[in-house]
Amino acid sequence: MPTTPQLSPQEEQEKLLEEALNVVRTQAFQMKRCLDKGRLMDGLKHASTMLGELRTSLLSPKSYYECYMAISDELRHLEMYLVDEFQKGRKVADLYELVQYAGNIVPRLYLLITVGTVYIKSNELSRKDILKDLVEMCRGVQHPLRGLFLRNYLLQCTKNVLPDAVEDQSTENSGGQSGTVMDSVDFIQLNFAEMNKLWVRMQHQGHSRDRERRENERRELRILVGTNLVRLSQLECIDIDKFKQSVLPGVLEQVVNCKDAIAQEYLMECVIQVFPDDFHLQSLSSFLRACAELHPNVNVKNIIIALIDRLASFAQNEEGSGIPSEIQLFDIFSQQISQVIQNRPDMPPEDIVSLQVALINLALKCYPDKVDYVDKVLETTEDIFNRLNLDHVEHGSPVSKELMRLMKIPVDTYNNILTVLELQHFGPLFEYFDYKGRQLMSCHIINNALENETMIPAQENVDAILNIVNCMVQDQNDQPEEPDDPEDFAEEQGLMGRFIHLLQSEDPNQQFLILNTARKHFGAGGDKRIKFTLPPIVFAAYRLAIRYKQLSDEDENWEKKCQKIFQFCHQTIGALIKAEQAEIPLRLFLQGSLVAGQIGFENSETVAYEFLSQAFSIYEDEISDSKAQLAAITLIIGTLEQMSCFGEENQEPLFTQCALAASKLLKKPDQCRGVSVSSHLFWSGFSQAKDGEFHDGKRVSDCLKKGVKIANQCMDSSVQVQLFVEVLNHYIFFFEKGCEQISVQVLNQIISKIRELLPNLESNEETEQINKHFKNTLEHLQLKLDNAETAEQYSGLVL
Amino acid sequence: MSFFGFGQSAEISIALDGQENRRTAEIKTEDGKREKYYLYFDGETVSGNVNIALKKKGSKLEHQGIKIEFIGQIELYYDRGNHHEFTSLVKELVRPGELTHDANLNFEFSQVEKPYESYTGANVRLRYFLRVTIVKRLSDVVKEQDIVVHTLSQYPELNSSIKMEVGIEDCLHIEFEYNKSKYHLKDVIVGKIYFLLVRIKIKHMELQVIKRETTGTGPNTFNENETIAKYEIMDGAPVRGESIPIRLFLSGYELTPTMKDINKKFSVRYYLNLVLVDEEERRYFKQQEITIFRRADKVRKNYQAALSHHNPSLLSDGGGSGKSQYQNTEEADTKEKEDDEVNNEEDAK
Repeated sequence: MPTTPQLSPQEEQEKLLEEALNVVRTQAFQMKRCLDKGRLMDGLKHASTMLGELRTSLLSPKSYYECYMAISDELRHLEMYLVDEFQKGRKVADLYELVQYAGNIVPRLYLLITVGTVYIKSNELSRKDILKDLVEMCRGVQHPLRGLFLRNYLLQCTKNVLPDAVEDQSTENSGGQSGTVMDSVDFIQLNFAEMNKLWVRMQHQGHSRDRERRENERRELRILVGTNLVRLSQLECIDIDKFKQSVLPGVLEQVVNCKDAIAQEYLMECVIQVFPDDFHLQSLSSFLRACAELHPNVNVKNIIIALIDRLASFAQNEEGSGIPSEIQLFDIFSQQISQVIQNRPDMPPEDIVSLQVALINLALKCYPDKVDYVDKVLETTEDIFNRLNLDHVEHGSPVSKELMRLMKIPVDTYNNILTVLELQHFGPLFEYFDYKGRQLMSCHIINNALENETMIPAQENVDAILNIVNCMVQDQNDQPEEPDDPEDFAEEQGLMGRFIHLLQSEDPNQQFLILNTARKHFGAGGDKRIKFTLPPIVFAAYRLAIRYKQLSDEDENWEKKCQKIFQFCHQTIGALIKAEQAEIPLRLFLQGSLVAGQIGFENSETVAYEFLSQAFSIYEDEISDSKAQLAAITLIIGTLEQMSCFGEENQEPLFTQCALAASKLLKKPDQCRGVSVSSHLFWSGFSQAKDGEFHDGKRVSDCLKKGVKIANQCMDSSVQVQLFVEVLNHYIFFFEKGCEQISVQVLNQIISKIRELLPNLESNEETEQINKHFKNTLEHLQLKLDNAETAEQYSGLVL
Repeated sequence: MSFFGFGQSAEISIALDGQENRRTAEIKTEDGKREKYYLYFDGETVSGNVNIALKKKGSKLEHQGIKIEFIGQIELYYDRGNHHEFTSLVKELVRPGELTHDANLNFEFSQVEKPYESYTGANVRLRYFLRVTIVKRLSDVVKEQDIVVHTLSQYPELNSSIKMEVGIEDCLHIEFEYNKSKYHLKDVIVGKIYFLLVRIKIKHMELQVIKRETTGTGPNTFNENETIAKYEIMDGAPVRGESIPIRLFLSGYELTPTMKDINKKFSVRYYLNLVLVDEEERRYFKQQEITIFRRADKVRKNYQAALSHHNPSLLSDGGGSGKSQYQNTEEADTKEKEDDEVNNEEDAK
C-alpha cells in the first residue's frame, strides 16, 4: 500500500498557506466582480468569506502575516469602492450596522473597520465616535495573534484619518473632522495597551518547552505593537507639554505594568527611537524612572545607553542650540542610573560599568569642558566596585573589558595625559585591574602620549603618571612568574624610553627635578628595564646641561648646575654598569665626555677626563669580545679625536693609552686596524698648544708603518690583502692632507705589494670584494693623476 | 364548489377597504413558505366588500344564506381536529334565497378585538381570517382570506438591565450585563462580559438567541427550542479583568414578540444564552430570559445605535448588589447539565 508521505512542519505550513491564499484569491475575485456589478451585499458576503481565512489557528505567525497581507490588499479594493460610492453621493445607509450582522467576530470586525474608515473619509459621521467604537469593539478578539493583526489593521486603516488638531474642527456637516489630537492619543494608547497585553499574553500560552520558539515568534510580531508608538510620534499637534503630560506617562505606565522583559526591552527602545530628541530631553527623568522599574531580565543597560548615545549625538549635531542649559543632563542621568543600579542587585558588574561608559561618553560629548563630570563617573564606578567587593578585575573577563573601555575613553577623548591626570579617581580606579589589565592600559596611555606628543612639564605630573603606569616601570607583586616574551618586553620598554623624551619642561630647574623624579622611578625598575629607561634619562640630562650653557647669561649658577648634572649622569651610568651593562655605559660616558668638553664649564676638563677614563676602565674591565673591543676602542679614539678641552697634560696619556690599547688588541687584524685608526688622533686631534689640529706627521707615519708591519704578520692571505688595502687608504688620506712623512714611493710600495699578493688569492666572493676595494682605490688615484691640479703631487705614482 | 360539475356555482372574492394603501406583512405558512397578507392591529375595524361572481350567467343560485365570519384561531399541529377559536364574529350578508346576478356585498366588523399576534411556529399556528360562506344544501361555497395581526406594545416603563455574576468555583467567574431586559424587534442588545476569574482555556464565546415555543399543558407540555441567532462575541482566551463588549442587532433575525400563555394554549419565549467554549469543546453557558416586543414603527433610528455602547457605570454599580448576585453562582449552569444542552441544540438543528 502506498503510504502518504509525511509532511515536514514547514511543508505543512506552506500547504496550509497555499490553501488559504487560494480561498482569498477566489473570494476576492468574486467580491470584485460583485462590486463591479454594483451588488454590494454580495460583495460584502464574499469579503466576509475571504476574511474567514483569518480565523485559522493553524498558521504560524509568518504564514498568518502573509495571509493577512493578501487580504488587507484585497480589502483596499472594497474600501476604494465604498469611498467612490460615497463620493458619488450614494448613501449606503446603515452599512455600519449591516456588517455587524456577521456571525463570526473576526470577519465582522475587519469589515467594521473597513466601513468605519470609509465613513470617516466620507465625512459622514463623527470620526471621533467611530474611532472610539472601533477600538473598543476590537476587544472581542482576545486571541493574541488574531487580535494583534486585527488591531494592526485598525492602525493601518486609520493612519490618515486620525484627528490631529488642537481644537475640534467639526461642523454639523463634517463629522469626519471631529475630535482633537488628544482623541487620537487616547485611541492609539488604548489600542497600544490592548495590543501589548495580547503580545505579552503569547508568552504565557502553550507548552513551556516551546518557550524559545514562542519568544522568537513574539519578536517577529513586535513591530505590530511598535507601530502604535510610531503613530503617536506622527501626530503633529503633540508638543512637548502634551508629550510630557499625556503621551509618555501613558506609554510608560503600560510598559512598566506589563512586567514582560521582551516587551519592555523593545518598547523602551521604540520610545527612544520614534520620538524627537528635544522631547526626550524634556522628559528624561520620567523615562529613566521607568527604566529603574523594569523587569530584572530586561537589559536596561542597552536602553539607557541607546538614549544616551542618541542625546549625545544630538548634542553634537545640533548646530548652536545643543542641550538647553536648564537641563542638567548629566546629573539626571547620573542619579537615575544609580537608582537603576540600586534597584537591580543582580545586575552583572560589566553591565554596571558599561552604563558608566555611556555616562562618561555623555559627559564628554555634551560637556567637553567639565572634567569633574568624568571624574564623578570614575568615582561612582570606584564606589560600586567597593560596594561589590570587587578588588581584582581579571583580565579578559567582561567587567575588565568594560572597565578598559571606560578608562580608555577619557584618554582617547582628551588626547592629553595631563587632562587625564586631573581626574582624581583615574589612578585609584586603575588599581582595580589585574597585572595584565594594567599593563595593557599603561601601554595605551603611553602610546597616546607619544602619538599626541604630549609634553609632561612638571615633576608632579611625572610622579603621577609613573605611579599610574607603574607596572611598566617596576616589578609588580602580582605579575606572573613567567617573564614576558622578550620581544614584547623590549617593545613595551621601548615605549617608556620614547616617553621619557616627552618629560620636558621649559624651565631647566624644573626639568632637573623631572629627571631626578624619573630617575628615582625608573631606577627601581630592575636590571632588565633600566637598560631601556636610563639611557634616555642620561641623554635628556646632557641636553639639559647644554641648555644651561645656552642660558649662562641668565643663570650665574649654571656651572654648578652642570656639575651636578654630570654627577647625576655619572651615578646613573654607574647604575647601568651595576646591571652588568658595558657597551651602553661606555657610549654614555663617551657622550658625556664630549658634551662636557663642548660646554666648557668651570670643571669640565676634569669631568670630561673622568668620563673618558671611566670609558676606558669599562673597555678594559668589562669588554672581552675582540670585535666589541675593536669597536669600543674605535669609538673611544673617535671621541677623543673630536675633543678639544684637554690640555697636553691630560691629552698625552689619553692618546698614548689609545694607541697602546689599539696595539694590544688580541688579534692581528684588529691590532692593524686599531693602530691605523689611532693614527688619526695625531693628525686631526686638537692640540691646545697649536690651537688647532696636531698634524704630527711622524707619529702618523709611525702608526701606519706599525700597521703595515702587523699586516705583514697576518697568516691569512686574504685578510692580509684586505688589511693592506685598508692601510693604503689611510696612507692616501694623509698623503692628500699633505703629510710630509708619506711619499709617493710608500704608496707605490704598498700598491705593488698588493698587486703581488692579489692574484694568489682563491677566487671567491671575499676576494672579489677586496679586488673591488682595491680597484676603486686605484681609480681614485688615477683621477688624481689625471687632474691637472693634483697631477704634480702624484707624479711618480705607478698604477 | 360543486361536486358534480352541474348546478350553479360562484366565485367569491373579498376586497378589504383601503387595501391599496394598507401595509402587508409576511408570515410563514405551515410548510415554511412565506406569504404576504394585509396587516391589522388590535381594535382596528375590518371592513370591505365581498364579491360573488356567478359562474353560469343566467342561472340562479339557491342558498340558505350568505355570511361572513371573522375568526381568530389557534391550531395545534398535533391536534389537527381541534381548532381553538378565540374570536369568532359573524355577519349575515344575505338572507336565504336566490342569487340571480353577481352580487357585491359590504361588510364591516367594527373595532374588532385582536388580542394576539399572528404566529406560525413549530407546533402551533395562530391565525386570523375572514371566511365567507354561501350556505347550500349539499356543499357550502366557502372563501377564506387570511390577514396578519401585529400586536403593538408601549415602550415598557420598567426596563431594567440584566446583570449577574455567575461562575464555577475556582474555575470561572464572570459578570455579564445586558442593557435591558425587554427589547423590541429591531432593537440592539448592548452589554459586556467582565471576566473576574479565568482558569480555563476559553476558545471562544458566543451569544445565542433561543426561542422556546411551549405548547400544551401539564404532562402534555411540548417544548420546542430553536436557536435563532448564534453570534460570536469573543475569539480567544481572555484573562482576568478583561471586558468584552456585546452588540447584537436583533433586526437581522426573524423574531416574534414574546407570547405568554396565549389563550392557555401556547407560549413563545426568548432567551439570551451566553456560551463559552473551552479548548476541549466543553461548553459553559448561562441563559437569561428576555422579553421581545413589537413597537410601533418610528422614524429611522439614529446611527448612534450602530455604535452604541454599554454604559460602563452600570458595571461599577454592580458591586453594591454583589452579595445577592453571588448566590447565583450556585445556579449557574454547570458542565454536567451542559450535555443536555448540547444534545438539545443538535436536535434543534
